[in-house]
Amino acid sequence: MTAAAHPARRMPNGLTVLAALAVLTVAGVAHVGSPDVYYRGAAGPYQVGVVVRPPGVVPAQVDVVIQVFNGDVGRVTVQPVYWETGTAGAPPPDVAQPLAGAPGTYESRLWLMTTGSYTIDVAITGPRGTGAVNVPIVSAATRELPMSPVLGAGLLLLGAFLVFGLLSIVGAASREATLDPGAPVDPHRRARSRAAVAAAAAIFALALLGGNAWWNSSARNYRRIIYVPLANRATIVDSAGEHVLRFELTDARWLGREQTPLVPDHGKLVHLFLVRSPGMDAFAHLHPVTRDSNEFRVAVPRLPLGTYRVYADIVHRSGLAETLVNTVRIFPGGDAAPFTPTDSDDSWSSMPGASRDATHATLADGSIMTWDRGDTTIVANQLAPLHFSVRTPDGRPAVLRPYMGMAAHAMVTRDDGSVFVHLHPMGTIAMAAQSLFDHRQSGDTSRATDARVMAMPAATLPDTVSFPYAFPKPGHYRMWIQVRHDGRVLTGTFDATVR
Amino acid sequence: MEPPRPASGAGTAGVPWYLPAVLVASLCVIVGVMWDISWHSTIGRDTFWTPAHMAIYLGGLLAGLACGWLVLTTSLGSTAAHADTVRFWRVFYAPLGAWVCIWGTFAMLTSAPFDNWWHNAYGLDVEILSPPHTVLALGIAAIQLGALLMTLALQNRASGDEAPRYRLLYAVAAGLLFLNATIMTTEYHRRVLMHAPVFYEVACLVFPFYLVTLARGSRLRWPTTAVTAVYTVVMLAMVWILPLFPATPRLGPIYQTVTHMVPPDFPLLLLAPAIVLDLIFQRAPPSLRGWRLAAVLGAAFLVVFLGTQWAFGYFYNSPASANWVFASDNYYYALPKTAYAYRHVFPPVRAGALVRGLVVALVLAVVSSRLGLACGDWLRRVKR
Repeated sequence: MTAAAHPARRMPNGLTVLAALAVLTVAGVAHVGSPDVYYRGAAGPYQVGVVVRPPGVVPAQVDVVIQVFNGDVGRVTVQPVYWETGTAGAPPPDVAQPLAGAPGTYESRLWLMTTGSYTIDVAITGPRGTGAVNVPIVSAATRELPMSPVLGAGLLLLGAFLVFGLLSIVGAASREATLDPGAPVDPHRRARSRAAVAAAAAIFALALLGGNAWWNSSARNYRRIIYVPLANRATIVDSAGEHVLRFELTDARWLGREQTPLVPDHGKLVHLFLVRSPGMDAFAHLHPVTRDSNEFRVAVPRLPLGTYRVYADIVHRSGLAETLVNTVRIFPGGDAAPFTPTDSDDSWSSMPGASRDATHATLADGSIMTWDRGDTTIVANQLAPLHFSVRTPDGRPAVLRPYMGMAAHAMVTRDDGSVFVHLHPMGTIAMAAQSLFDHRQSGDTSRATDARVMAMPAATLPDTVSFPYAFPKPGHYRMWIQVRHDGRVLTGTFDATVR
Repeated sequence: MEPPRPASGAGTAGVPWYLPAVLVASLCVIVGVMWDISWHSTIGRDTFWTPAHMAIYLGGLLAGLACGWLVLTTSLGSTAAHADTVRFWRVFYAPLGAWVCIWGTFAMLTSAPFDNWWHNAYGLDVEILSPPHTVLALGIAAIQLGALLMTLALQNRASGDEAPRYRLLYAVAAGLLFLNATIMTTEYHRRVLMHAPVFYEVACLVFPFYLVTLARGSRLRWPTTAVTAVYTVVMLAMVWILPLFPATPRLGPIYQTVTHMVPPDFPLLLLAPAIVLDLIFQRAPPSLRGWRLAAVLGAAFLVVFLGTQWAFGYFYNSPASANWVFASDNYYYALPKTAYAYRHVFPPVRAGALVRGLVVALVLAVVSSRLGLACGDWLRRVKR
């Protein structure tokens, strides 16, 4: 969330904003600096891709685009469902309209009226029958929109015209309105009229100042609802010779129990990532365990010294997924301290990344991961060709196994830290949030976090994985692609330049 | 002073062509506003093209175009045609009210891009009063004030058979303007606040000013009663007509089952203090004027309004009033079931705060009445 990466800027006041340049700050809640939501998977018999673009203000409309990959479709509907009220308190579904020039693609705009956890329920009917899927999203105010100079100038002109017109009316009213028809205006009335206009000008000036103060007050109130991730503290402590990362939730909203508890997302309460800064040449994907409801601890792998960005993905029982941000410093000794992984799924990599735009990465067991990107230029806000395949050292397709219930995990970050995303082949959504909504729809709110929900398949998987994602802005990015092969978690590192 | 003469542009059997236009515009904008509030309470989702918005903008355009045409024809007409008008920017002539209407139309037009930007920057505003809505409200109020001033000038110049007609039309214009004032302060007049000091503070700040001003400008024997009667009739019409139309929410989350258009609250019982104010106007000795008259009017308004509205609150905030006549079950779709309004209970108010609030309300009522007297006396003299 950019509120941490970019401290909230002061909202320009009412008059200043009229002349301010239009600057759009795009942020997100789940993930950092990447507000759009991507989903790919099954909706009954249909294979679909869904993109949701939150507007960053509340209440406001979100754009939803649905692409159906297999077969004809009769009708596609979308419905925003708020976590607290479920489908019983949702407005009727909207019929998504076909997108011209893009067969199988439909679009709609939906109103989100309040902040918090939502899902977009997508329902499809067609020759194959009916199918549905929910795509969890977070509705939050995340941005500030100054006024464009053109609009500001136009409104200033209109405002000035209104004030001038009002003063003219006051002048005419005090000069002539009470005169008998046809009676002349005497000098006394003219003088009185001028005095009235002067007095009115003073009153209007005060009213404008009052209006400006009101505007500023509204802007301050708006800033109060802008999303801020839970405050937290990350420190590395020595525990029996081991270096342990202590991650504490210190936010009053959390300590005051104003929020619902956390639930595991693909089996872990917290997915915590360390990214060495500024080089991005060391990375860890860890899973702290709870000591109490506020504190989590995890053993720190042997990583190079330096400053690390901390990104912690959590999911609330309401379905609200958020990424908490911090930094820690690994001091001398940390790279040589004894280390026992806290969780068997913890993984790390301190290999430097490949050179810019390289398409092959040698994994820890000698396997080769290939980025099948072709010659495509990667453009911001357009789906990127994130297709990867893994071959064993002897060149055979690797047999992959699920890693925490997923065929693969991808972590994407921009070199300045303003973007961090943890996604899977099913997209950027939190699986736990989707499961919670699925069970809430059926009226089951009490056992939504049990093992049944988090059951993980153990099937064998093909050697290729794809991620539905569009980079949010141009720049240099690094990606860590993680798969499980032959019992080991392997990490491939790739760089991408986005236009 | 010259003898009274027929109103400009009016035959003995009719009224000037522009007067129905601006009065219809005044009715259009205020009904449109109430319709729009109901729309947002019931359906939620809207576009520029909702019928409620069309009513508001139709009113704005009707007033603006009618008055613009009046300005053109009067300014290009003979010098004699300028006799009943005020001059504007040295070359334009029209009745004072026409200029106010035109200003209102421009204010409404200005509010549209401002409001659009506001929604993009801060989200759709869910409160009635926001800066861009205030610009729109000022425009709407200006159209209604302009219609009032145009009727007033005709009333003040009228004589003979046509006088009663203009007196009645003035009462209608005044009632519609007063309705606007009650809507702009709606958030402070909800039934759960009927035992809270803010209800009476806001009422005493606004209503005596409007009622006294409008009454002093009238030539009727019961002007305040007439003004509040217009307010009451229009409100009752909205309370009883809106729920006849089926409608369901198109936005969520939905906390209330809504099947028909949500009506406004039952009108405030302002007829009671209005009758008392009229009696005071009729029976006050000539020596009772200025601040002393304002003190009597303000105190009378507070005492009568407090007595009737406080007592009515017991009934109106009870489930017994949840019927088609009083419509206290007019919950908007997103009203949580924990809300005081839904539970039909009053929020707690400390006795000390209530006493302090009522003292403040008394002071506000007196000051508001005094301002009303000053403005009303000016209205009585408007002839153009």
